[in-house]
Amino acid sequence: MKNGRFVVGLVGVALVVSYLMWTGVSETMVYYLTPTELLAKVESDPSFRDMGVKVSGRVVPGTYQRVEGELLHSFMVRDLTDESSTFPVEYRNALPDTFSDEVEVVLEGRLRPDGVFEANTLLTKCGSRYEASPEELAG
Amino acid sequence: MTILGEFALWIALPLTVWGMVMGFVGGRTQRGDLVLSAERSIYASSFALTLASAGVVAAFLGDRFEYWYVANYSNANLELFYKITGLWAGQRGSLLFWALILSYFSCIAVFSNRRRNREFMPYVAGVLQTVMFFFVVVLLFADVNPFERLAFTPADGRGLNPQLQNYWMTIHPPTLYLGFTAFTIPFAFAVSALLSGRLDARWIQLTRRWILLSWFFLSIGIVFGMRWAYEELGWGGYWFWDPVENASLLPWLTATAFLHSIQIQENRGMLKIWNMSLVALTFLLTIFATFLTRSGLIESVHSFAQELRIAYIFLGFMAFILGASVVLILYRRESLRSDNQIESFVSRESAFLFNNLILLGAAFAVFWGTIFPLVAEGVTGQAVSVGPPFFNRVNIPIGLFLLFLTGVGPVIAWRRASKRNLQKNFQWPVLVGWGVAAVLWILGARHPLALTTWGIGAFVLTVIGVEFYKGTRARARIEGEGSFRAFFHLVSRNRRRWGGYIVHVAMVMIFMGFAGSAYNVDERRNVQPGETIQVASPFGHTYDLTYEGLSVVANRGQRNLDFQMLALVTVARDGRVLDRLTTEKRRYVTSDPGQLMTEVGIRSSFYEDLYLILAAVDDPEGALANDPDAQGIDLQVLVKPLVGWIWFGTLILAIGSLVAMWPSADRRRMAQEARATAPADPVAVGAD
Repeated sequence: MKNGRFVVGLVGVALVVSYLMWTGVSETMVYYLTPTELLAKVESDPSFRDMGVKVSGRVVPGTYQRVEGELLHSFMVRDLTDESSTFPVEYRNALPDTFSDEVEVVLEGRLRPDGVFEANTLLTKCGSRYEASPEELAG
Repeated sequence: MTILGEFALWIALPLTVWGMVMGFVGGRTQRGDLVLSAERSIYASSFALTLASAGVVAAFLGDRFEYWYVANYSNANLELFYKITGLWAGQRGSLLFWALILSYFSCIAVFSNRRRNREFMPYVAGVLQTVMFFFVVVLLFADVNPFERLAFTPADGRGLNPQLQNYWMTIHPPTLYLGFTAFTIPFAFAVSALLSGRLDARWIQLTRRWILLSWFFLSIGIVFGMRWAYEELGWGGYWFWDPVENASLLPWLTATAFLHSIQIQENRGMLKIWNMSLVALTFLLTIFATFLTRSGLIESVHSFAQELRIAYIFLGFMAFILGASVVLILYRRESLRSDNQIESFVSRESAFLFNNLILLGAAFAVFWGTIFPLVAEGVTGQAVSVGPPFFNRVNIPIGLFLLFLTGVGPVIAWRRASKRNLQKNFQWPVLVGWGVAAVLWILGARHPLALTTWGIGAFVLTVIGVEFYKGTRARARIEGEGSFRAFFHLVSRNRRRWGGYIVHVAMVMIFMGFAGSAYNVDERRNVQPGETIQVASPFGHTYDLTYEGLSVVANRGQRNLDFQMLALVTVARDGRVLDRLTTEKRRYVTSDPGQLMTEVGIRSSFYEDLYLILAAVDDPEGALANDPDAQGIDLQVLVKPLVGWIWFGTLILAIGSLVAMWPSADRRRMAQEARATAPADPVAVGAD
């Protein structure tokens, strides 16, 4: 067939792209959990600690500390709804400007055996919309 | 003025409905008077949207904080410039601004075709007014009316988000919108071709420059956003694979595919269905991009619920466009048969087809990565996340293969490339590509992906360089011109082709710039005044960065700025003092008292950027009081090789697209002659 080679080529490209996508998702995907879910998972299955996860929670006011000279930031994070689920976080990088007490943060990293969450990335969740409801404007 | 603007927005609604109905009915019944009315409704709705936008700007300038939108994006002290650009600072204004640009483009399309191509115009007008109608409906009925008033008047607005108070951020969104909306015109012509049955390559010829214009604005709009991230977000990156960024990349990928595949239709009469599908898909993705950027849907399913109405209106419109396009293409599938078949695996058609397939593959991968978290959460109930590792993993190989095709496409023969053709065109470039990679390897560059990129880049540059050289030499010999003159004439005689090559050169530069990030250097330390950080550049030299101390500047002219705390750093390279850089923390009067914004210090050169970040100040209160013992800071130093090539490459890309878009001298003359001889003949003029 005249177009045989051609079809093979096209199918080949499609297969390679699918393969890249498939392995890409399965190898880079991480769970996106709340602190409560993370603590529960680790409790029921300690090997879960070794997996990287993404967690969103709120910074507990007054817990932020900067370890001078070590470029280390530490603070406590609590669940957005269940205030009793908290754990300490350590982060070694420049903090985003919007980081502050009570801000909602999205962390990627893993929970160490000592119970400290070691974050590799930290994003704050706000700013992108930067809008207030009428009630907030009134206050 | 603002009341008038609000009123004008309401007037735009019946105007667009009228134009929509008249366009389609006029096309169906072949009644010129109805079509004329449809076209006039476009001018009228454009005027109404101008008034509406002027109303919003007036509300900003007049500090009318009783308007929700103004209260949220301005304050009394905001600089004039940002009050004017407030029109597109937030979601509500953006949607209005979008409709405004679309209406201007529509006016241009209708006006420039008022005497010619009349067979397309009824449906073109109808489609344009349909899209406009959709945006007016969103503005009025989706809880995003920029004229919404609060029940009370706040004393002052909340001010503009400090991160948006940046030059690049004010031009980035409108540039993207120009790109998105310009693509509506080719889409309208394509639909018109389908409805009227005029299915040759005419609609493509007529809209080729619109397609290029859209692509041009999309490209530079995306890069403006990268530049903003690079300067403002303060971590030295320029691309996050954030859903909003992905949303703007998607139509760019499909538009790039379309730009190539239309050449196959024009030259060989193939891929007609494919091109129709691509134009519809790209248009759909421009709407999808607006939807994503301006609805916050993707962040989580939960935010979806808050924006229910706008989401449903957008999804409904996208479903309608998708359905209508599929039905129309299927309806005309017999007339959309290919005139020819692909003859050989090794041919330009084949290279272009692979280019298309790969671009679409990349678009699909990006799309999938963007919506996967939503799908996964919807199906399994478990939230997951895919991030940069996924996108890099998939897109780097795809990008490299595309880069390779950038060098193959321009010189491989149409129909069937002979062994001779291949050998003649590719022997030297392949050797140069391997040679460059080998030399870089010897010089110590060992990163496999970066080496591959630079090797392929050298291959592509050689292919294109040889083409330019051969063309110029041939012309110089035949016409007896000097080489500079010959080069200029060569390009101007076939702007489309050579403009395209210039864009290819630009893409090579941009890719080489991306590859430079494999050699980024990142050093951070806590320093006291007088201390020096030594940083080795991958190019072999060493920077000595001496921290001089903090300098506090209170409110320096910029009215919304409370104070700036500048860290002064002296930069020496190999012992010789070059420059003095500052990186700062600043506070805006509108921010929370504790929130300091970081401004980075950048020293750019052609081959690398030195990028300083004031990561933290040990004792901000003490530093503000100029306490000499409170000067310690965390300083982060990045060396970013070749990052400037991305920006410089974009400049070349802009030049190349402009060359390709510019009407050629022949066409201009033809158009003039045609106008002079037959002003009323609707189809005599070939130029667009």
